[in-house]
Amino acid sequence: MTNSLYLVKPEIVVTIVLVCIITFNLIFKDKPQALPWLSVIGLMITSYFVVEQFSYNSFAFASTDYKGLLVTDPFGAFFKILIVLSSVIVILFSISNKELDSAADRLGEYYSLIFGMILGMFFMVSAADLILIYLSVELLSLSSYVLAGFTKNTLRNSEASLKYVIYGGVSSGIMLFGISIVYGLTGTTNLYEINSLIQAPQINQITLLFAGILIFTGIGFKISVAPFHFWTPDVYEGAPVTITAYLSVASKAAGFALLIRFIKVTFIKSINAEGYWQVINVIDWKSFFILISIITMTLGNFAALWQNNMKRLLAYSSIAHAGYIMLGLVVMSNEGILAIIIYFTVYAIMNLGAFFIVMLIANKIGSEELDDYKGLGYSTPVLGISLAIFLISLTGLPPTAGFIAKLYLFIALVDAKMIGVAIIALLNTVVSLYYYIRVLKNMYLDKPGKEIPKFSASIPNLVLLIALVAPIIFFGIYFSPVVNLAKSSLTLFGF
Amino acid sequence: MINMNESILINLALVILFLPVIGFIVALFLAKKVKKIFLFENFVIILAFICSVALLYLKLTYFQSKDIVSEFQWIDFGNVPLFGKLSVELGILLDNISVIMLFAVALISMLVHLFSIEYMSGDKRYNRYFAYLGIFTFSMNGIVLTHNFLMMYIFWELVGLSSYLLIGFWYEKKSASDAAKKAFIVNRIGDIGMFSGILMLFTTYHTFTSDKIFYQISQGALPFNSEFWLTVTGLLLFCGAIGKSAQFPLHVWLPDAMEGPTPVSALIHAATMVAAGVFFITRIFTMLTGDALFVIAVIGALSAFIPATIALTQNDIKKVLAYSTISQLGYMILALGVGAYTFAFFHLITHAFFKACLFLGSGSVIHNMHHEQDITKMGGLRKKMPVTYTTFLISSLAISGVPLTSGFLSKDGILAGTYAFGYATGHWLFAAAGFFVAMLTAFYMFRLIILTFHGQPKDQHKFEHAHESKFVMAMPLVVLAVLSIFIFYTPNPFNPEQGWFLSKWIKAPQISVPENARYSFMKPDAAQKTEPDVNKSETAKQEIVYSETYTEALHHAHIPAMLLSLLMAASGILLSFLFYQWKKFDPDKLAERVKPLYKLSYNKWYFDEIYDAVFVAGTVGLSKSLAWFDNTIIDGIVNFTADFTRIFSKLSGKFDNIVVDGLVNFMAYLSGFIGLIFRKFQTGKVQTYVVLVIFSLVILLFLFKTF
Repeated sequence: MTNSLYLVKPEIVVTIVLVCIITFNLIFKDKPQALPWLSVIGLMITSYFVVEQFSYNSFAFASTDYKGLLVTDPFGAFFKILIVLSSVIVILFSISNKELDSAADRLGEYYSLIFGMILGMFFMVSAADLILIYLSVELLSLSSYVLAGFTKNTLRNSEASLKYVIYGGVSSGIMLFGISIVYGLTGTTNLYEINSLIQAPQINQITLLFAGILIFTGIGFKISVAPFHFWTPDVYEGAPVTITAYLSVASKAAGFALLIRFIKVTFIKSINAEGYWQVINVIDWKSFFILISIITMTLGNFAALWQNNMKRLLAYSSIAHAGYIMLGLVVMSNEGILAIIIYFTVYAIMNLGAFFIVMLIANKIGSEELDDYKGLGYSTPVLGISLAIFLISLTGLPPTAGFIAKLYLFIALVDAKMIGVAIIALLNTVVSLYYYIRVLKNMYLDKPGKEIPKFSASIPNLVLLIALVAPIIFFGIYFSPVVNLAKSSLTLFGF
Repeated sequence: MINMNESILINLALVILFLPVIGFIVALFLAKKVKKIFLFENFVIILAFICSVALLYLKLTYFQSKDIVSEFQWIDFGNVPLFGKLSVELGILLDNISVIMLFAVALISMLVHLFSIEYMSGDKRYNRYFAYLGIFTFSMNGIVLTHNFLMMYIFWELVGLSSYLLIGFWYEKKSASDAAKKAFIVNRIGDIGMFSGILMLFTTYHTFTSDKIFYQISQGALPFNSEFWLTVTGLLLFCGAIGKSAQFPLHVWLPDAMEGPTPVSALIHAATMVAAGVFFITRIFTMLTGDALFVIAVIGALSAFIPATIALTQNDIKKVLAYSTISQLGYMILALGVGAYTFAFFHLITHAFFKACLFLGSGSVIHNMHHEQDITKMGGLRKKMPVTYTTFLISSLAISGVPLTSGFLSKDGILAGTYAFGYATGHWLFAAAGFFVAMLTAFYMFRLIILTFHGQPKDQHKFEHAHESKFVMAMPLVVLAVLSIFIFYTPNPFNPEQGWFLSKWIKAPQISVPENARYSFMKPDAAQKTEPDVNKSETAKQEIVYSETYTEALHHAHIPAMLLSLLMAASGILLSFLFYQWKKFDPDKLAERVKPLYKLSYNKWYFDEIYDAVFVAGTVGLSKSLAWFDNTIIDGIVNFTADFTRIFSKLSGKFDNIVVDGLVNFMAYLSGFIGLIFRKFQTGKVQTYVVLVIFSLVILLFLFKTF
C-alpha cells in the first residue's frame, strides 16, 4: 500500500497547502492579502508533481486482486493540469473581486475551501472505484455549496447556496442509490471488475440500465447537462463571479473526466481497428448521449437568447458548451476524446476570460445587466475588445481558438458518419451567435442612457487579461501545440 | 575555428525577420504618446542590418554550398476524405540567394530610414511613417526567407498592403491616394494569376513547400499529367511577378506611385518591392518550361524597351527614374527568360544599390529645391550640391553600363546572355532590343544629369536657396555610390565570372521540368549524360547543365557583347552631351520633326488613356448597357406583365400575408418561443427542479429500457 504513495503526490501536496492556509490564517489574521499568493505558490508546487504524472500509467492502492482505488495516467494528469491552471487564474481573479470585500475577515475560509474543491476534483479525475467516485463528488460539492453562498450579503447569494445544497443533495442521493444497485448486482465497486462481471449474460439488464442512468444523474448534475441542469442559472447568477467562473470550468472539467473514465472503463468491451469503442450490449449509451447532448445544447442556446444578465447568459452558454463537449463522447472513439481535450483546453481560457471581464466591469459599474453595457465599448476599449474576442471565440469563429475546438469536434463527428448530429450542432452554433453578438451590439452600437466615464483595468489585471487573450488568438492561428498536448494526454489506464 | 551550427543561422534569420515588425507595433501604438519613438524603429532596423551582415558572413563562410531549411508543421489534418493528405508546413530557407537578398534589403532599408529622418522632418505623421517602413521591411524579409508558396503569398500581399500605405502616405493629396489605389488594384490583377497558380500547385502536389514541389516535378509528376499545364502554372505564377515588378502590361502603377515620399520610392520602387517579382521568378526558375521562359523573355524585352522610350521625354525627375526602373526590371526578366539566371540575380543586386542611390539623390535634390521636381526648372546644381552630384554621377555611370562600375558587369552579362541565346536559338531580336535599350538608358540618364546639375540655373530664386544635404541624408548616398563600384563583386573589372559573386555564390539551379519541355540548350548533350545518381536526396541542389554548344556560344559572346555594349553606352552619353550640354542640336527641333513619335513617348504610349478607354470605360459602359437593358427591356416586360399580374397579386398578397410572412415570423417567434418554454421550466423553485429531475429520469428509463 505505502509504495503507491508516490502516485498521489499532487493530492498530498494539495492537502498540505490546505492545512497551511488554515494555519496561516489562524496565526496571521490581519494578513489576508498574503493568502492568494500562498495558494498560487502551493498550486505551482502541485503542478510540478502533476506534470510528473504524465509518465505514469498504473493503479494506486491496489488491493489483493490487483485492482486499485484510483489510477494515475496521462489522461488524469491532463485534467489535473487544467484544474490547477483554472484554479490559479480564479485565485488571481479573486484578488480584485469587489464582491469578496464584504467578507474580508473570512478570506481564509474562501481559499481553503477552494483547495477542498481542488482535492475533490483531483480524486474525481482519477477515481476507479464507485466509493471513491461518490466521496470525491461529495467533497467537491460540499466545498462548492459553501463557496456559492460565501458572501451572504445579498438575498440571491444565500438563495443560490441553499438551492445548490438541496438540489445537490437529491442528485448525490440518486447517484448513491445507483451505486448500491451496481454493488448488489456485481458484488464489487471497482470499475474494472464491474466491467468484466457485467459481460456475463446472467446480469439483469433492466436493473443495470436503471443503475447506470441513476449514476449518470449524479455526474450530470456536476457537468450541468439537461435535464439535470436546473440549478445552473440560479446558482451561477447568485454566486460570487469568481466562483461562477470556477464552477463553469474546473468543476465541469472534473465531471467530464469522471464521466469519460466511468463510461470507458465500465462499459467498453474492446476498441476496434479504427479506434471506435465496442460497447457492452447493456445500455445504448451512444443514443443516450446523442439525446442528452442535443437537448442540452439546444436548451442552453435557446434559453440564452432571452437573458439580460451577463452571468445568467454565460450560465446558459456554459450549459450549451457542455452539450457540445458531450458530442465528443457521442462518437465513442479516441478521436472524440481528443476533441474533448482540445475543447476543454480552449474553453477553460475563453470562458474564464469572459467571466473575468464581466467581473472587472461589475467592479466598476456595479452591474451585470446587459442594458448597462451600452456604450461600454467606447468608454473602456481594452475590456471591450477583449470581451469581443472571447465571445467570438465562444461562438467558434476563426481566427480564434474556439474555432479550432469546434472544428475538431465536428471532424470527429463527420469521421464517425454522424452528419445529422453535426448539422444540429452547427445550427446551434448559429443560434448562439445571436446572443453573443447581442452583447457586442449593446457595447458598440447602442447609445448609452447616460455618460459613462472612461475607465480601464489596473496594470496587474491587464497583464492577466493579455495572458488570457493571447492564447485565444495564438492557438487560433497555430494550434499544433494544443493538438499535440491532447494527443499525449489520450492514454487512459487499461487501454 | 568556431563551432558553427545551422541553428544559429536560423535564429539570426528569425531575428532579422521579426525585428521590424516589433518596431512597427511599438512605433504605431506609441506614435502619438512618445514623440521620439521613431528612434526605436531606427534602432531596430540598424540591429536587423547588423544581424544580416553576420548572417551573410556566416552563411558564405561556413555553409557556402549548403541550403539550410527549418520548417514546422502548421496544420495537420491527416488524411482528408476526397483530397488525401492535408498538412501545411511553414518554414524558412537560407541559401546564398536569400542571404544576399536579405542583406541588400536590410542595408537599403536602414539607409532609407536614416535618410528619412531628415527628409520627412516636420511631417505631422512622422512616427507613423517609420512604423509603415517597419511593416514593409518585415513583409519584404518574409518574401525573401520563406520556403513555401503559402507564406510567399501572405507576405506578397503584405508587401502590397504596406506599399499602399506608403504610396498614399500623404493621402490628403488626391493624386497620392489615387496612386495608392491604382498600385493596389493593378497589383491585385497580377496576384489573382499568382494565386491560381499556387492553387494549381497545391491541388496537384498537396503541399506548398517549393522544394518538395520541384522534386516531384523532377520525378515526372505534372499538373494534369501534361507539360502544357506546367507551362500554364508557371505563367500564372509569373502574373504575380508582372504585377509586382511593374512589367508590361501592368507597369502603369509604378510611375504614379512616385506620389509617395521619395525615400519610399527608393526603398520599394527601386530596390525591394519591385525586385520581389524578379526574386520570385528566380525561386521558381527551376519549374519553368521552355515555352514559359520564352513568354517571360518577350514580356521582359517589351518592358525593357517601352519604358526606356518613354523616359526619353519625361521632365519629372522621379518619373524618369521610375521608367528607368521598369526598363531595368525588364532587363532582369529578359535575362531570366533567356536562361541567364545568374546575371539576372546579379543585376537585381547591383541595380538595387545604384537605383536606390539615384532615388535618394533625387530626394536630396527635391528636398533642397523646396519640392521642385521638374528638371527643366533646375540646372547648375553641381556646385551647390557636390556630394549629391558625385554620387548621382557614379550611379548614372553604373546604370548606363560604363566600365569599372557594377552596372557594367551585370548588364554586360545580361547582354551576353541574350547574344548567346540568339546564337543558340536564332531569336536575335532579344539581343537587338537589349543593346538598343542600353543606348537609350545612357542617353536619358545623362539628359537627366545635364539638365539637373550642369548648365545655368533656370529658377534663380530656388537655386539660391539650394544647399548640400545634411549628414544623415548625404551618408546613405555615399554608401550606395561606393557599392556601385566593381571591386565589391569581382577583382577583374571586365570579367564578372572571375569574381566571387558569380563563381562561388550564385549558381543557377538544375531545371526540374522534363527534358523535352526545356530549351534545347538546357539539356545535357549526349556526351555529358551521366548515370543518374541513385543516392540523390530530395533537398540536394544540383547545378544547371547547359549543352556544350551553349557554353561555347556564351564564351564567344563575351567579347563582342562587351564591345557592343560599350559602344552603345558611349554613343548614348555622347548624344546627350551633344543635345543638352554643348547644344550642337536642338532637342525641340528634333521633337518637332518626329512629332508623332515624340508625342507617343511624352504621353507614355497612351497606356493610361487606353486602359481608361478600354477597361474603365468598358466597365462603365457595360454597366450602363446593363442598366439600359434593365430599364427598357426588363422594365417593359415587367410593365406589361404588371397589369396582368395585378389580379393575381391581390390573391397572392393574401397568401403572402398569411402564409409566407406567417412562416417567416413563425420561425423567428418559434426560436423565441422555444427559449421561452425552456425558461418556463426555470421557475426558481427548487422543489420544481427536483420533481423535473425525477420526471426526466423516468422518461429516460422508459426510452432506453428496450435494450
